[in-house]
Amino acid sequence: MDIKTAIAVINQMQADGVVERYAIGGAVGATFYLEPVATLDLDIFVTFESAAGSLSVSPQRIYEYLTARGCTIEHEYIVVAGWPVQFLPTGTPLVAEALKESVVRDVDGTPARVLAAEHLAAIALQTGRAKDKARLLQFVEAGVLNFVRFQAILVRHGLIANWQKFERQFVNDTP
Amino acid sequence: MSLDLQNILASKRALRRELAARPVSEKLRILDALRERELAIRGRAVHPGALREEPAPYGINSTPTKPA
Repeated sequence: MDIKTAIAVINQMQADGVVERYAIGGAVGATFYLEPVATLDLDIFVTFESAAGSLSVSPQRIYEYLTARGCTIEHEYIVVAGWPVQFLPTGTPLVAEALKESVVRDVDGTPARVLAAEHLAAIALQTGRAKDKARLLQFVEAGVLNFVRFQAILVRHGLIANWQKFERQFVNDTP
Repeated sequence: MSLDLQNILASKRALRRELAARPVSEKLRILDALRERELAIRGRAVHPGALREEPAPYGINSTPTKPA
């Protein structure tokens, strides 16, 4: 069970043309900026390109590629190097922008493409579950967000009211 | 050691900052260990089929279709 190996497998899958681009999101993505956040799975956002050059969201090629290399399918996950991985299409304009503007970080010589901190925070705000709000608060408290960039993302994706509500509930009450 | 709550909270914040500042490779190794521990605490074998964490919706239907 080794997440770095899982990332290397996904890198190779991208190099082999199965996906056009990927980026790590969720709790594992957050861990690139925050303290380690316990999680059971790995969220990977992907774009696919069909033979005709148009964007497609079929995970078929991912399943075929990975199962041919010994990975197994478990419910909605594909198990890569012991980690259940969920491949997610860019279903909203915010996630599509996040993937487009994702960044490459080095993990002991292995490149890993990860969503930017500001996009992870905005996605957490948009998703809005309790644990997403907790993660967003971690981003704020850790001081890792570029607030100019974060605010611009919120404006572009209609999240200002969500942010103002979040600020009232959590940020302004923080001692 | 102090039982003063403010000191305890400050200490926790300092620990979180120290963890966050560690190299990414080290933090990912910690994730591996945390996942192993979480699975052990749940009393399951280290087998991903046991996973029942609710996937984030991300505003989409995130359940992929399995290949035919």
